[in-house]
Amino acid sequence: MKDKIIVFSFMIYIILFSLLHIIINDNEISFEERRNLSTFPKFEFTSKFITNLEDYFLDQFPFRNRFRSVKANFNYNILLKLDNNIYLKDNYIFKSIYPTNKKSIDNFKKNVIKIKNMFPESNNFYLMIIPDKNYYLEDKNFLKIDYEYIFNSLKELNIQTINIKDILSLSDYYETDTHWKQENLDKVIKKMSTVLNFNYQMFNYTKVIYNNFYGVYYGESAINRSPEIITYLTNNFIDNLEVKYLENKKLNNIYNKEKLTSFDSYEVFLDGASSFIEIKNNMIKNNKELIIFRDSFASSLIPLLTPYYSKITVIDNRYISSEYFFKYLDYENNDILFIYSTLIMNDSYSLKG
Amino acid sequence: MLFSSITFIYYFLPILLIIYFSISSKFKNLILLIFSLLFYFLGEPKYIIVLILSCIVNYFLSRLIYKGKNSKVYLLIGIIYNISSLLIFKYTDFFIYNINNLFKINIPFLYIVMPIGISFYTFQILAYIIDVYNKKHKPADSLLTFMTYVCLFPQLVAGPIVRYSDIKEQIIKREQSFTKVSEGIKRFVIGLSKKVLLANVLGELSKSIIEETLVASWIRPLLYTLQIYFDFSGYSDMAIGLGLILGFRFLENFNYPLIASSITDFWRRWHISLSSWFKDYVYIPLGGSKKGTLKLVRNIFIVWSLTGFWHGASWNFVIWGLYFALLLIIEKLFLKKYLDRTKIIKYIYTLLIVVISFLIFNETDLSNLIYNLKNMFSLSIPFIGKESIYYLKSNCILLLVSFISSTPLLKTIVNKVKETKIKKLINILEPVIYILLLILNTAFLIDGSFNPFLYFRF
Repeated sequence: MKDKIIVFSFMIYIILFSLLHIIINDNEISFEERRNLSTFPKFEFTSKFITNLEDYFLDQFPFRNRFRSVKANFNYNILLKLDNNIYLKDNYIFKSIYPTNKKSIDNFKKNVIKIKNMFPESNNFYLMIIPDKNYYLEDKNFLKIDYEYIFNSLKELNIQTINIKDILSLSDYYETDTHWKQENLDKVIKKMSTVLNFNYQMFNYTKVIYNNFYGVYYGESAINRSPEIITYLTNNFIDNLEVKYLENKKLNNIYNKEKLTSFDSYEVFLDGASSFIEIKNNMIKNNKELIIFRDSFASSLIPLLTPYYSKITVIDNRYISSEYFFKYLDYENNDILFIYSTLIMNDSYSLKG
Repeated sequence: MLFSSITFIYYFLPILLIIYFSISSKFKNLILLIFSLLFYFLGEPKYIIVLILSCIVNYFLSRLIYKGKNSKVYLLIGIIYNISSLLIFKYTDFFIYNINNLFKINIPFLYIVMPIGISFYTFQILAYIIDVYNKKHKPADSLLTFMTYVCLFPQLVAGPIVRYSDIKEQIIKREQSFTKVSEGIKRFVIGLSKKVLLANVLGELSKSIIEETLVASWIRPLLYTLQIYFDFSGYSDMAIGLGLILGFRFLENFNYPLIASSITDFWRRWHISLSSWFKDYVYIPLGGSKKGTLKLVRNIFIVWSLTGFWHGASWNFVIWGLYFALLLIIEKLFLKKYLDRTKIIKYIYTLLIVVISFLIFNETDLSNLIYNLKNMFSLSIPFIGKESIYYLKSNCILLLVSFISSTPLLKTIVNKVKETKIKKLINILEPVIYILLLILNTAFLIDGSFNPFLYFRF
C-alpha cells in the first residue's frame, strides 16, 4: 500500500506541475527579479537548445516565486544559515559584496585618472566616496569588504575628497534597496558646500511619496515583507529646470514620475540609467558649472545640487565612453566631481573610462 | 540533459513513464531506446552519430567474435576501434600540447569537443566484446537489444559502468512491481537531494572561502571531497533509481567510501564499477598479485596510471592515479596489517589521504597544487581567519548533515526505527517526506545556478 502511495503521489506531483505550466500563461517579466523572463527557445542543432529550454522551464515554472521563498526560508529557518546570499537584520536587507576586489579598485582609479587627465588643470577636481550600506551594519558576523583599504587607496588619486562617511548612518538608506534616501541628503549637500565652496541654503521642498517601493534586494531575498516608502523632493524651482537627456528626448524633468510604478521606483531620479544629462538652471546666473561623473547613487543627490549651479552635466560612464561624451563638454574652469559608491569601486569593470 | 534539471524531472520523465507503462512489454525496449537517444541527442546533438556508429560496429564485431573464426582478430579490431575513438575525442589536444612542449614545435590544437559519456560507454562496450570473446555470455540477440543496453539513458553519460552479463536477462524480460518502482523513486529523490541540496551548496561554499589560513587550506579540499562524493554518488543513486523505475537492477557504485578503513578499502567503496572494470580487464589479465611482488607493483602502477588518465586529459589526474598506486603498494606490502590493528587512526589516515587526493584531482595547475599542498602543512600562515569562522558558523547544520549523510548512520537509524512500534508512523510519513524533498529540490533548482555533474567531464 505504502509503495502505491509513493508511486502515485510522485507521478501526480510531477504531472500536475507540468500540466500547470501548460495551462498557466507564461509571464513576460518578473517584478521581483527585475528582469524579462525566458520564452520558449527556437530549436537549434546544438546543446544550446537544451540549455535555453531549461532556462525557459526554470523561469516559467508554476509558482516560481513561492519556490524561491521556500528555499530562502529553508536556508534561514531550518539550516539556520546566516545568509541566503542576502543578509537580514532589523528589517534591513543587505547583500554581501565580500571580498575586497583590489584589482577592481585599481581599475577604478585608472578610470578616474584617465578622465581627469582629459581635462586641463584649470578645473577643480573632487571625489566623493559613498559607502554602501553594509558599511553601517553593526554586526560582527557579517563579512565586509575592507573599507579602510578603499579609502586609503583612493588617497593616491590626489583628488580633494569630500568625506561623508561619518555623517551618514544606516537609516539614510532604504531597507530593501541598495541606495540612499533623497530626503536625508541635506547634510550631504551641507558638507559638499564646505568643499565645493557654494553657499548652502535650507530650501523648502514638497515631499512626493510613493508607498509601494520594493528595492532591488527585496526581489533577491525572496522573502515576504511589506513595501517601504520612496520620497522625492520637489519645488517650483526644480520643476522649472531645463533638463536634456541623451537617451530620453521626451523627458524634460529631473524626475520621471512614470518610473515610480516600474520595476525600479528609484529610477524616478534622473530617469534611472541615463548616460548623459544636461541640467540648466536659468534662475541662477552665477555661471558656475559642475560636471559630475557618477553612478546611480548620485541620481537622487543631484536634484538637491541644482540650486547652486547654473549648469550641471551628469555623466554615467558605465553607459558612455569618454571619447563620446567629451565633445559635449565645456572643459575650462569647472568643478569636476566624481561621485561613486563603494559598490562600483569593488566591481568597476562596467566603467568605460 | 541533466537528471537534476526541471526539463528532465517534470517533462522528460513523466512523458517517458506514461508511454512506457501504457504499452505492451514487447515495445518497451524500443521506447526506451528512442527516449535514450532523445536524451543523448538533446544534450549532444552532433555526437549521437558517434554513439550510434559505435553501437553498430561493436554489435557486428561481437557477432563475428562469437562465431569463433578469427575471433582474436575481430576482438583486436574492436579494442583498437574503441580505444582509438576514446583517445581521439578525449586526448588529442592533450597529446598535441605535450608533443609541442617536448619537441618545441607548434602543432595547432584541434579543439575537439568530447562526446559526453564516451569514457563510460566505451568501457562498457569493451567489457562486452571481451566477455563475448571469453564466452562469458553470448552476443545480444539483436541490434535493438544491444543498443538498448549501451544507450540506456540512466547509465549512459556518467555510469555506473553496467556489465551486459549483469543485466542481460533484464533487458529481455524484467519484473515490474510497485515495490520496485517505489524503491526507484525513493532512490532517485535521495540522489537528487545529494546533488542539489548538498553537492551544489558545498561546491559554492568551497569557492567562497578564499582566505589563506591553515583552517581554510584544509576546509576547501574537505568540502570538495564531500561535494564530489555527493555529486557522483548522487548521480549513481539517480541512475540506479531510474533503472529500478524502469525495471532494471544495476549494481551499486558507492558504499560509503568516506568511512573506509584503508585506501584499499576506499577503492572497494568508491566508483565500484570503474575499479572492478580495471581489476577484471587490466589487473587480473596482467597477473594481479599472484606473480610476485615486482609484478604486483608493476600491475598496480599500470592500473592506477590508467585509472587516473581515464578521468581526464591532464597531468594532475595521472599524478592522482600514481598517488593512489603508491599508497596501495605501501598498504599491500606492510602498512595494512598495522592499520588493521588500530581502531580510529585507520579512519583518520584514510580520510586525510582521500582529502589530499581530491586536492590533486581538482587542481589542473600544478604550481597551484604545490602551493596549496604547502599551505596545508605550513605553520607560517595564520591558523584561522574571519571568512572561515563566518562560513563554518553559517553552515554548521549543513556540514553536520553532510557528514552524517556520508556515513551509514541515518540508514541504520531508519532501519532500526522500522523494526519498532512506530513503523506505522514511518510508513505514513515516508511518502510525505519524499514529496517534501522533491519540492525542496525544485526550490533549490529554480533559485540556483547551472551546476552540471562533476563526472560529466570524464
